[in-house]
Amino acid sequence: MRSFPVNGLSDDELRAQAARTGLALRVDELRRIAERLGRDPSIVEAHAFDAQWSEHCSYKSSRHLLRKLPTEGPTVMQGPAEDAGILHLGEVHGSRWGVVIAHESHNHPSQVVPFEGAATGVGGIVRDVLCMGAEVIAIADPLRFGRVEDPESHQRYVAQGVVDGIAAYGNAIGIPNIAGDAYFDERFDDNCLVNVVALGLIREQDIIHSAAPPGSEGWDIVLVGKATDTSGFGGAAFSSVTLDEADEDANKGAVQVPDPFLKNVIMRATYRVFEYLRERKITVGFKDLGAGGIMGCSAEICSSGGYGAIVDLDDVNTAMKNMPPEVIAVGETQERLCWVLPGEVTPDVLRIYNEEFSLPQIARGACATVIGAVQGEKRYVLRHGDEIVMDVPIDFLTGSIRDELPVRPMSERKVTDPARRYVVGEHDAAQLLVRVLEHRDVCSREPMYVRYDGAVRGTTVIPRGYASAGVIAPIMGSPLGVALAVAGNPRMSKADPYLAAAYAVLEAVRKVVSVGARPLGLTDCLNFGNPQNIEHYSELVHAIDGIGAAARELGTPYVSGNVSLYNESKTGNAISASPIIACVGGIDDVSNVVTATLKHAGSALFLLGRPQNAVGGAAFAELLEQTGGPVPPIDYERAIAEIAFFRAAADAGFIRSARSVGNGGVLATLAQMAFPTLQPGHKPLGLNVLPARAWAGDGVGEIEAYFGECGGFVIEASGEDAQALASIAAEHVVLMRIGEVTSNCVMRVAGAALDLRTLYDRWSKPLTEVYP
Amino acid sequence: MSLRTIAIKLKIPDNAAYTALSALRRLGVEVARLERAEIWQLEDAGSERDFAARVERNETLFNQNKHELQVLDTDRPRAGEAWIEDLDAKDVPLRIAGVNRARRFVAWRLFSAGHTPADAAAVRAAVDQLLCNPAIERAITA
Amino acid sequence: MRAKVAVLVFPGTNSEIETWRICRDVGLDTHVVHWSQAASLPNYDAYVLPGGFAYEDRVRAGAIPAHDPMMDYVIEGAQSGKLVLGVCNGAQIVLEAGLVPGTGAVRKPTAAFTRNAAAHFVCKHVYLKLTIPPERCAITAALSPHALIPAWAAHGEGRLAATDEHLREITDGGHLAFVYAHADGSVDERAVPNGSALGCAGLTNREGNVLAIMPHPERDAWNYNHPDRRQTDNILAPSGGVMLFAAFAQALERL
Repeated sequence: MRSFPVNGLSDDELRAQAARTGLALRVDELRRIAERLGRDPSIVEAHAFDAQWSEHCSYKSSRHLLRKLPTEGPTVMQGPAEDAGILHLGEVHGSRWGVVIAHESHNHPSQVVPFEGAATGVGGIVRDVLCMGAEVIAIADPLRFGRVEDPESHQRYVAQGVVDGIAAYGNAIGIPNIAGDAYFDERFDDNCLVNVVALGLIREQDIIHSAAPPGSEGWDIVLVGKATDTSGFGGAAFSSVTLDEADEDANKGAVQVPDPFLKNVIMRATYRVFEYLRERKITVGFKDLGAGGIMGCSAEICSSGGYGAIVDLDDVNTAMKNMPPEVIAVGETQERLCWVLPGEVTPDVLRIYNEEFSLPQIARGACATVIGAVQGEKRYVLRHGDEIVMDVPIDFLTGSIRDELPVRPMSERKVTDPARRYVVGEHDAAQLLVRVLEHRDVCSREPMYVRYDGAVRGTTVIPRGYASAGVIAPIMGSPLGVALAVAGNPRMSKADPYLAAAYAVLEAVRKVVSVGARPLGLTDCLNFGNPQNIEHYSELVHAIDGIGAAARELGTPYVSGNVSLYNESKTGNAISASPIIACVGGIDDVSNVVTATLKHAGSALFLLGRPQNAVGGAAFAELLEQTGGPVPPIDYERAIAEIAFFRAAADAGFIRSARSVGNGGVLATLAQMAFPTLQPGHKPLGLNVLPARAWAGDGVGEIEAYFGECGGFVIEASGEDAQALASIAAEHVVLMRIGEVTSNCVMRVAGAALDLRTLYDRWSKPLTEVYP
Repeated sequence: MSLRTIAIKLKIPDNAAYTALSALRRLGVEVARLERAEIWQLEDAGSERDFAARVERNETLFNQNKHELQVLDTDRPRAGEAWIEDLDAKDVPLRIAGVNRARRFVAWRLFSAGHTPADAAAVRAAVDQLLCNPAIERAITA
Repeated sequence: MRAKVAVLVFPGTNSEIETWRICRDVGLDTHVVHWSQAASLPNYDAYVLPGGFAYEDRVRAGAIPAHDPMMDYVIEGAQSGKLVLGVCNGAQIVLEAGLVPGTGAVRKPTAAFTRNAAAHFVCKHVYLKLTIPPERCAITAALSPHALIPAWAAHGEGRLAATDEHLREITDGGHLAFVYAHADGSVDERAVPNGSALGCAGLTNREGNVLAIMPHPERDAWNYNHPDRRQTDNILAPSGGVMLFAAFAQALERL
């Protein structure tokens, strides 16, 4: 076994050798490995530890922070232990049904090859949900891009390629895209963020765990999917290998190549395997392959069950001959999954994949095949040819490691001086509204999401663009609904990562509530810069505190998530701290959903929530070159009361339409509620907005009231229900009448009468330049 | 003004070519290997020397992580090749300095066993049975 | 005996479940038939080809699946008068197989559902408007004249394209079964999501037993799919896009 010399080398020599080999392991980590093994690690072992001890697999600088998040509650069926969390949705025919949720990033690959990077991001998250035993039912995509104005810029290319990649993959596998958001900011010029969320559906008794089950010693380890190639593996180790001519088409680079066609078939074959196993009531283990490839997946699934594993790399279906063992072991080829199965069912499962669903005919070299066995001895062993190329204590390989990194205390966090009185001059609110609607973070996202299939599966209740959250009714024959929304405002993060993270939680929760759902739980994807940099690491620590505070206050548990660090360019430009939150909601009967399209002329319009003067991070403040103001603090008591009030009003049927107040503030939110009525064949409606002084509250400026982004809800109710609505408003709830719906296609505000069609044109146009 | 022809080929596996190859074999077309490329015919006012570099700067056309670019010494399909063009193809506006007109084709390159170009009959059969829908496309062969 | 309907699954199909579900909801004895079960296809009375990306639209949408062994049975069935309904990718396959407009030979298409005018996938709520006399096509015979059916357009290649001569054949031969329309039934260019020639959303063949439609009525086929047009009815009951499938079921009863 070829070794990776550690003992006898100086720190400098060791560092240089690691760099040459393409390893990110630090000198102290390499020495720790050599010490524990009692010898130099083999090349394969060095690569294996490099993968397992990366932040991506080990969460070494974030796991202890994530422990601070609330992960328990009556809705939690499975907390953050495996590839995805599970939230209790409701009961149908005596079975408890759960919504599986996973949230991941694919930032760096998307910056390099946007189409393939984003597509494989969708592919990966779908596998995380699938491997819980679930049917995949929806996806969502929070995106952050750089400045895209220049048509020849790399940023423009990335922004286009990412959307095309998400569309190509999600559409082909047939999963509706029901939520998402997009921000454009110079802080993402060098690093785009491509986050993906996937939902699945499962009955509690059908959950499959990513662990070898009790009594599984000697069971088969079965690899399913695409032939293993060198994708996702550094080129250095591979350049020395000569290729057979027949291997010319195989993937030789570091680009992860998506194959949604193969994935579509693997998903359907896997559903068939689920059915087969459930009929026979067989408990198995199932996990998707991600970072660390075959080695990472098979080691984690076996160690989680308290076992070891022995895998024979010669049994892996590879795309080319003569692949070095370390590449077969840790390469990150897409579209692969791993089962732990009792020997007696293996032939049937292989038959389902290979014959009934004919994987070998779908993609070159694809198949399901036995590659190893679960063993009682808690070691992880890899065989290649006649050699043992890896033999390590399995818990040492997969066990938790932790990096202690310097961090600033919360009291020293970098925020704008809250005492600073924010100055907003006299501005023509009507003129400003037009500019706010055109703002890149407020304008219509339709040019992007029109490319995503939002209605496949026939379960869609509220597609994208019709409300602040998407809704599906995923269980055939049941009125139960699932709502999904995402949030995370990078403009706010620049001012205060702690509050921005808390706002992301509050905004995601409000969005889900605004369609009439009860929030079930949260996931996060924490996209930050280099944790070795105290500023960036402190941002991460404070953002997690913000998520924890908001999640606890609002009573929404956190069930899964992902951390993406090192989002910075070679020159050290880091992204804006980006805690991105997804919230899942449950709806007992989708008959009661609330959409955001205005319904009737004559309805009364209300604002539920109180405007504030602090406008840090708001889109309008940026337009007025007033950046740097403080982010408004969150009054949780009031936010909770508002949410409770909204849900009571929705359940009582008082709400004709509603939207959570988002980017652009109250006026932009109102305009967006009117826009869908302008579609041909519909009855166009208009808006009369009362002057801000009539509803904004003492001391709050007109502009801040119209355009501030501290949230709340805009509600349309019938004139008759207005009284009843006000009567159920309890303590802490501020419900102000802000106007009425008219039938004239005009928005009257601040003394002006704006043609809604003109506003619609201005709002809908900006992104058509980027997404023609 | 010169007419220059380039082929942009995936250097990552071309799944579409693999599926097309399987389909052609099922249809009885004698083909051992199939390659696919995007062909661009560009009317170029710039110099030949930096032509490839100018094209490679256009990211929507060329990404070095997944593509390889070849400047062809012919503006016609070679032996074993069929170039497919949309009947209603319009000039594609490309942002390449010096280039003012562009025509796009999808090129299929068929090989028989032994890595020699497939014969004209095989190319014709592939075009007629699968690669070209004459209602919307025209095929040019060697 | 109830008519037996096969919903075909090619490698890459993705809409088989909702298609199966709406066929079941209109009372049809419906079975999902997978490519490895192709040999069972002669036992069915009608074929529904659902949406998706059969063979991922490689080469051209519908081109490779049109040559799939499953299509041998479908073509044979269509020629013997069985009803065939293709939706979205199913419509592309039926067209590439030469079954609609059916003015050329088998597997020699005389038209195409090809790349949208916008050159990208478009997902948009639309309406299908019946433009032929209902009885011209067996599957639409039970619809009222000018019936308006809600549906989702969701495709990257849905624009009807053909030579002028072939387009004339389509209009003159009464093959243009459906066009795109607005919610109020009005028809103009803005109602067409993809730049389709003739505003075409659906084609039938000469005999009227094959129908190919690009938009998906089965995605707007239950009350919950249109919450803004909510009735007091059972939220799970079929509505809207079910019309087309109900007419399909009635046609099968008559056979």
